[in-house]
Amino acid sequence: MARTPTEEPAMDKSYGLIAAFDTTPALYHACEQVRNAGYTQWDALTPFPVHGLDAAMGVRRSRVPRFSLTGGIIGFATGMSLIWWTDASDYALIVGGKPYFSPMFAFPVSYELAILFTAFATIIGMFLVNRLPMHYHPVQKASQFVRAMDDRFYIVIEANDPKFNVAATRALLEQAGGHDIAELEE
Amino acid sequence: MSAPAPIAAPRTGTALGIGAAGIALTAVGVFVSGLEKAATSWLIALTFWIGIGIGMLLLVMIHHIFDAGWSTVIRRQYEHALAAFKWLALLFVPLLLLAWLQPGLIWGWMNLATPLHDGHGTVGTDVLYLKKSGFLNRDMFTGCTAAFFGIWIGLSYFFRRNSFSQDGDGDVKWTLSNRKFAAAGLPLTALSLTFAIIFWVKSLEYHWFSTMYGVWFFAGCMRAALSTGVIIMVWLWNRGDYRGILNNNHLHCIGQLMLSFTVFWAYVTFSQYFLIWNANVPEETFWYNLREMNNSDGQPNQWKWVGLTLLFGHFFLPFLLLLWYPLKLSKKWIPRVGAWIIFIFFLDLCYNIMPAFKDHHGDPEPFLQPGLLWTLAATAGIGGVCVWAYLRSFATTKLIPIRDPRIVESLTHHEANAP
Repeated sequence: MARTPTEEPAMDKSYGLIAAFDTTPALYHACEQVRNAGYTQWDALTPFPVHGLDAAMGVRRSRVPRFSLTGGIIGFATGMSLIWWTDASDYALIVGGKPYFSPMFAFPVSYELAILFTAFATIIGMFLVNRLPMHYHPVQKASQFVRAMDDRFYIVIEANDPKFNVAATRALLEQAGGHDIAELEE
Repeated sequence: MSAPAPIAAPRTGTALGIGAAGIALTAVGVFVSGLEKAATSWLIALTFWIGIGIGMLLLVMIHHIFDAGWSTVIRRQYEHALAAFKWLALLFVPLLLLAWLQPGLIWGWMNLATPLHDGHGTVGTDVLYLKKSGFLNRDMFTGCTAAFFGIWIGLSYFFRRNSFSQDGDGDVKWTLSNRKFAAAGLPLTALSLTFAIIFWVKSLEYHWFSTMYGVWFFAGCMRAALSTGVIIMVWLWNRGDYRGILNNNHLHCIGQLMLSFTVFWAYVTFSQYFLIWNANVPEETFWYNLREMNNSDGQPNQWKWVGLTLLFGHFFLPFLLLLWYPLKLSKKWIPRVGAWIIFIFFLDLCYNIMPAFKDHHGDPEPFLQPGLLWTLAATAGIGGVCVWAYLRSFATTKLIPIRDPRIVESLTHHEANAP
């Protein structure tokens, strides 16, 4: 059935609620309230980085270092085993009167590989954790979203948050000082 | 922010008492174990404390040359510690006297009649000495040592004067002057610390070659100075002085520097070992062979275990601990890691100095021996004097450089510091 322009478009599926804030402190304190209310699936949209917002949102430290450490260990082990396998196992060869294998001469290469694999793992881990590149996000449908890149601050609470309830969440955002509260379409 | 009031000096008398007691105990060592043992102990202890001082001087200069903001509140404590240099110079005088009155007792090359360890001739007939004698002679040693202390004391004087004067008038000219002194002082300090460690320590075994030696000492100085710094920070926090001044991001930054210099130390130390191991030239390998097995019977000696302790304790343990973010912020744990690094820096100096002295078989002196007591006494004694100098200076100025142009930036230091 064709929609007429005057009708409110029927929503396929709700993504969540968006609320606008005018100043950094307003957003900061609103984030603290949302955090304290126990929400986990939500985000703040700001035109620039806001110091201390991670703590106000209750964001924990990034999990990327775990990828880095894993990459480093794999890189080091790769270097050591590659040199052991090529020089002492698969094709044993005496070079410069040294033993077939020694961690001494294997160390520089293992060290370089540890750094290389750490760098790879860090970048791959970063993209896995932040799920970039992301070509579509429901907030892009909200017309007010463009101001998140200019002079306004937003909080988006997702509908898949266990605590999400359209009425209660809207009330929380209103109480936290949010305005232009709107429901987002998936 | 209201200006912190000058703080009552804590326990300066105790520090000086420990200093005097340690020095007196080392003097007793002269009569119990002989002059050579006591003088070696004195050399280890002096190098240890001078190393920490050089590291702090470098940190102050690095702060100024990069126009750093975050470390402003920490810099003041290093400036206080720099007051120790003039006392360290005074405490070095006995070694210089020894060089002139008993040549060859510590640095064998100072006496041409000193027999070589392998029993073939004396220093005076040793081509490896004669080729190096333009550098390795007593006049150079004395003149250069005086020049090193002149550089360190002079730079310390200007950095302290400029910073303390700024507390009074808030004039930016002091900061600009510090930057110029840092630009001139960094290469001067780099050269002086390199030549100092070559003269004082490396020349104990003058046959040896290593182009990494100065860099190795630099890495050790930086690690010990950063660790001492972090201990001072947390001490001041626990006392209450640094509440509201020191935040997690300061600790995080200084912890990151501790981590990077741990890696740097390992890189340099490994490179030195690896190149010598790979080239396998006797003039170089003997240095490590002596620190692994006895010359006479080829049996492993204590230095092998000290060397392994350095490998695992000076690199792997602090490296793995400092990788961990919460540890760098823990006011309980980061001073402990710092204390461990300082201890291992001391052990590293023992590893470099003590085996240079041989028994009558030509084997290196063991690490665990009664003479170690005098080393500990001398370290406590000179340390007492250094701490006393720090505390004495601490009581004379503001807690932090309150009128430094970067002080607000430092007090509000944030991890993702926007310009």
